[in-house]
Amino acid sequence: MFYREAGQYKTSYKEDSAIFPILQDRIAIWFYLAVAFVIIPLFGSEFLINSVMIPFLVFALATIGLNILTGYTGQISLGHGAFMGVGAYSTYKLVTYFPDTNVVVLILLSGFFSAAVGMVFGLPSLKIKGFYLVVTTLAAQFFLEWAFIRIPWLYNYNDSGAIEVPQREVFNIIVTGPDASVLSRYFVVLSIVVVMTWIASNIIHGRIGRSWMMIRDMDIAAELIGVRPLFAKLSSFAVSSFYAGVAGALMVFLWLGAAEVESFDVNVSFQILFMVIIGGLGSLVGSFLGAAFIWILPIVIRAVPRIMGMDINASTVEQLNFMIVGALIVLFLIIEPHGLARMWAILKQKLRVWPFPY
Amino acid sequence: MSFDESYTTPDGRTIGGVLMEMRNITLRFGGVTAIKDISFDIRQGEIRAIIGPNGAGKTSMLNVINGFYHPQEGEIIFRGETRRRMRPYEAASQGISRTFQNVALFQGMSTLDNIMAGRTLKMHKNFFWQMLRYGPALQEEIEHRKVVEKIIDFLEIQSIRKKPVGSLPYGLQKRVELARALAAEPSLLLLDEPMAGMNVEEKEDMSRFILDVNDEFGTTIALIEHDMGVVMDLADRVVALDYGKKIADGTPQEVQSNQAVIDAYLGVAH
Repeated sequence: MFYREAGQYKTSYKEDSAIFPILQDRIAIWFYLAVAFVIIPLFGSEFLINSVMIPFLVFALATIGLNILTGYTGQISLGHGAFMGVGAYSTYKLVTYFPDTNVVVLILLSGFFSAAVGMVFGLPSLKIKGFYLVVTTLAAQFFLEWAFIRIPWLYNYNDSGAIEVPQREVFNIIVTGPDASVLSRYFVVLSIVVVMTWIASNIIHGRIGRSWMMIRDMDIAAELIGVRPLFAKLSSFAVSSFYAGVAGALMVFLWLGAAEVESFDVNVSFQILFMVIIGGLGSLVGSFLGAAFIWILPIVIRAVPRIMGMDINASTVEQLNFMIVGALIVLFLIIEPHGLARMWAILKQKLRVWPFPY
Repeated sequence: MSFDESYTTPDGRTIGGVLMEMRNITLRFGGVTAIKDISFDIRQGEIRAIIGPNGAGKTSMLNVINGFYHPQEGEIIFRGETRRRMRPYEAASQGISRTFQNVALFQGMSTLDNIMAGRTLKMHKNFFWQMLRYGPALQEEIEHRKVVEKIIDFLEIQSIRKKPVGSLPYGLQKRVELARALAAEPSLLLLDEPMAGMNVEEKEDMSRFILDVNDEFGTTIALIEHDMGVVMDLADRVVALDYGKKIADGTPQEVQSNQAVIDAYLGVAH
């Protein structure tokens, strides 16, 4: 009744090709942005912003990265945890060498390092597919983890072997380091995630994104039409790892504050892959939904007994948490194998004809 | 009829000189010889049919033409130049486009995106503009959308523009595939069994589109088809293959009455 494009006539291909052709969708986007930029900073508690929103946004960005590779180009990777690490370590090195440069710029620059590494480990994808590619990207994961431990230059020869985030200011506001306020970190993360999501959406809807999807859906036909598999696959690996790298840098510099190799182990790779699959392959909305499902749902479940005044000890809650989240993942995937994004699309489709579905 | 001269068909179309010439092509897969010493040519503006029983090497021939297989012997002369060994996308950039025996659409994309995909080679705006989807990139996108809309109109698939192609019936999928091939504005269009599995009405529609494409855009078409009625009606010239060898080449009437062709299709008493 309220969500329906009746009466919205498109008079140019520009309007019809827009990313959100339906007015209500455009309103919704502005609404979400308003919530994220105004309402949450005004009314959100420090816990909400620091432990829920910032990690959610960071993981959403990493998920978008992996989704570009897996959901849009059809190449599976289990190395994205390590690619996040490449972003974090290279930001650390850049911050060390260029202490006066804007740290946000350095974080974005670090993406290029992980893009380069991602392209190198993407080379096998030209010959192999599917499970075999999983194995080679897993090798990338283990190799990079090894490098993070064994090359002390990467962590500036610290005794702890960890990255310790130094204090840096942007326009006289402290954004990294232990003294940075939650809000300043939140705004930096949010702005980067919003801009990079917008860019991802633009690429996906254009020629390059189409060539990725062509490779995904039917690589032989794509080649006969004129897509060069080398370029399409490697550009996808590059963009995807760029996103992962920036997400990794954000994770360490604006959320954790310190990190060692365990922060980028294979579990992170799996976690991001789960977010992609549960959110929906080949969907940007799905990347956010998937990240929310995996990151926010456990927090909500943990909070439930406390809110309801039940006296359950913490370890029991944690056990229950694993059981509930696990069961929900299975349930959701049985109901809709294409992930939350497809559910979202079906819901919108239903809403369009509601309340007269016939 | 001299080889390089153009001539006019009875229905008034002009057939030009030789566009592509296959000289003594031999293609082997290990010990199996799929194509053995075949020579034929495709002339500018004609509809050339390749027929033959199953396993005769027709699809292999098409795959050789668009660079997917590389013949061990023989040469291909395209637009007067001997073609070197090339990748399929290079063939595509030279203006060869095709459809497939089993529909090979991009199932995850809409009809519109599938046809836009066909224009990949015509779009050049760089990554930076693509990122912003603004200025030149957006303009390019819209220009190509206009061309795609013309093709959509031409093939009468306006109503399925935004539908995911996976949900379309088979006949329409074939038509979208033709649209995608046309979007590349090919000079040589290869159709691999465009009418396989269609009913009579769908075949009539498809035949009409093929003739229209040839007529309006002057596209040279090479098609593989099993329905002899269709081949006899559409094709200007027919080449017949059997067990990888050429058994006949000529006008539909000539090929139809050729004893070797009849034997290949009906079998010979031993």
